Amino acid sequence: MDVLTGLSHGFAIALAPMNLLWCFVGVFLGTIVGLLPGLGPSATVALLLPLATQMSPTSGIIMLAGIYYGAKYGGSTTAILLNVPGESASVVTCLDGFEMARKGRAGPALGIAAIASFVAGTIGVLLLMLVAPPVAEFALRFGPPEYFALMALGLSMVVLLAGRSMIKALLSMLVGLWLATIGIDLFTDGDRFTFNRIELVDGVHFVVAAIGLFAIGEVLANLRPAGGEQQFKVPKGLRNLLPNWQDLKDCRFAFLNGSLVGFFIGVLPGAGSTIASFVSYGLEKAVSRRREQFGTGVIEGVAAPEAANNSETGGALVPLLTLGIPGSATTAILLAAFILWGMRPGPLLIQDHPDIFWGLVASMYIGNVMLLIFNLPLVPLFAQILRLPAHILYSGILGISIVGVYSVDQRLFDVWLVAGFGLLGYLMRRLEYPAAPLLLGLVLGDLMENAVRQSLMMSNGDVSILYSRPLAATMLLFTAAILVGPMFRQFNIWRLRAAEQEA
Amino acid sequence: MKVRSAVSLGAALAMACMAAPAADYTPTRSIDVVVHSGPGAGNDVFARAVVGVLDQLKLVPQSMQVVNKTGGGGIVAMSYLGEKKGDDHLLGVFTGVWWVNPMIRKQAKVSIHDLTPIVRLILEPSVMAVRADSPYKNAKDFFEAAKRNPKKMKQSGGSVSGRDNTTRAVLQKASGAQWQFISMKSGGERVAALLGGHVDMMIMEPSEALEQIRAGKVRVIATLMKNRIPSLPDISTIGEQGYDAPEVPQARGFVGPPGMPSNARRYWEGIFSKLHKSKEWQAFVKQNHYEDGFLMGADFAKFSKEFEQTQRAILKEAGIKLLR
Repeated sequence: MDVLTGLSHGFAIALAPMNLLWCFVGVFLGTIVGLLPGLGPSATVALLLPLATQMSPTSGIIMLAGIYYGAKYGGSTTAILLNVPGESASVVTCLDGFEMARKGRAGPALGIAAIASFVAGTIGVLLLMLVAPPVAEFALRFGPPEYFALMALGLSMVVLLAGRSMIKALLSMLVGLWLATIGIDLFTDGDRFTFNRIELVDGVHFVVAAIGLFAIGEVLANLRPAGGEQQFKVPKGLRNLLPNWQDLKDCRFAFLNGSLVGFFIGVLPGAGSTIASFVSYGLEKAVSRRREQFGTGVIEGVAAPEAANNSETGGALVPLLTLGIPGSATTAILLAAFILWGMRPGPLLIQDHPDIFWGLVASMYIGNVMLLIFNLPLVPLFAQILRLPAHILYSGILGISIVGVYSVDQRLFDVWLVAGFGLLGYLMRRLEYPAAPLLLGLVLGDLMENAVRQSLMMSNGDVSILYSRPLAATMLLFTAAILVGPMFRQFNIWRLRAAEQEA
Repeated sequence: MKVRSAVSLGAALAMACMAAPAADYTPTRSIDVVVHSGPGAGNDVFARAVVGVLDQLKLVPQSMQVVNKTGGGGIVAMSYLGEKKGDDHLLGVFTGVWWVNPMIRKQAKVSIHDLTPIVRLILEPSVMAVRADSPYKNAKDFFEAAKRNPKKMKQSGGSVSGRDNTTRAVLQKASGAQWQFISMKSGGERVAALLGGHVDMMIMEPSEALEQIRAGKVRVIATLMKNRIPSLPDISTIGEQGYDAPEVPQARGFVGPPGMPSNARRYWEGIFSKLHKSKEWQAFVKQNHYEDGFLMGADFAKFSKEFEQTQRAILKEAGIKLLR
């Protein structure tokens, strides 16, 4: 079936009233879940699995996928307004998004997040429809050495996330890498830094660390005796609450960059949307004409990671639908749904069940439009939250953070842990250590360690496997270029200038 | 009002007689089914499928929901059950790791023997799979190649205490060959590593392998059960190929928390017997290429003991430190 007939067939399915309704239910629930920090898309998709299995596979998958990409729209809201990253992929959104809110530009930040999500979500589906099989074949060329190189490239982003002092950024990253080792080691089954606590056998949850460092740290830093006054400026008038033409023009490249980076990293079974958002932010900053302003509230700094986060959904569906391999926690649940419907998704899924594939693709175009229509009018409304006086706003942030952290695993232990991270975040802020490199280390450390150990097991300890394969070598060259950059004077000058701007 | 207090008095009496074996039991609120893996993993899908069939047959008057308590290869879920001593509205889904991990993990406070055994439902067979264009046509080819290139051949799998590594230990002993075991976190990564040619072999479940075979991506070189697998009638077993390797099937079934009241236990045994006899269940077992592994009571206890002994021996041989 060629693309056009397939797609028109798909639209005929997706536009059937029942499917349209389920699509709406999916994206609606997804948006709400995205707004709540802690409860991620995978938990919600799992929650609705029993309902979906009562439905026809086509309607069911349309609804479940709607939750998946719908949740990604809402994830940025608490990140921008409250500095609470609701899911791991919105940590990067906090960097510039919350700064924009501080400057009274919360509306445009939320608006651009919705628009970037729409553009990238649509491009992600487009790529899923057009290039899925060849891209899936290409992704298979990624073995452990290639993953190692990709993680090294991701980790080199620390150079771009560093503030005034590179040393402080590197120290912060090292702490993150150490935190990533906590838990049971996959290769030897030995315990590392678990202190015999059963709560630590699976390591430190990323969301716990991120909410502690960002949100609780923010609250502690703003503790002061007097309250009552409004902390943030919120401009009046609808025009100032949505992105203007100049904002959109500034984000042209970010939309494209985020969409492509998100999609291709999404296809890789061992990567994920957090890495995609970090890489697209780094790329955006590296090529930007005003890179020295990143971290102070530039709109591209919100658009790029949000775009990457959303087109990642399209990418993550590629290995599931073309190879029968789930690449992420949420796609693994979609795979479970297929099994519960009595099907087994494999390489022949599209061929055997064209209705499901094309119906899903068409519904994703429709769902993205629904989400945009849904989310844009909410922007001016949400921006009003910042009108609240400081003592209410900050206690609200505290409450949402604790509820969010608890909802990850329903354990009180995590609440204590987030308090610890909050204190750490406060101290780091006071001593001017950036928190983003720590989180980068935490999310990449585990994956990178696994990749390097897998590679060395494959080669019986021969290190050359890490750089002798062409794909890995290319990525390592890029990494080296980013890392040695600071040694050149010119580069250091702009980096310092950037630091001054941030100070 | 009077009626209600009479009812609650009755309930209180029933509670008091809980220990008495004759008392009848039916669940009065929703039942939690604890699994140790995240949503979408094999065990979670199994639990949801069982709940789905029970629901379809309307065997249980209350709703049942799957609760994911992940971490430590089962010990988090087991300790959760351990905390709910005597709870009669709680079930847990076990697999082989519920025997293995308490033996090797310091943090484990609850062993499978502390829990209330209810039923073993299925055995999941496994097969040796290679990429379709690989030169190995049978297990012998693979073992010979591994002997020619000691420690150069690679297998992708999960953690070292998991079933695929246990199976590797068994196969290495039977063949005298040695190869590398590359641990990977998710099942997706393991299959991708095989399809991408980064590893040479993987121990797969038949349902997973069959779709890849149908698409011409994977070849199965041996099945690892005593008898041939009905859905793969042409593939000879490892025993037929001349290797004496004991089978290491994945067992799945249900347990209750420690000290589950015996009337509740008998209730669930009755439910699972009815489930096992149903057409719907048999169809589910067939469709997923499982083996019927229905065992209850003394037979289950016997299996539990034997399984622990074989696992203990295999772990010792694989050089994994046993704590208990």
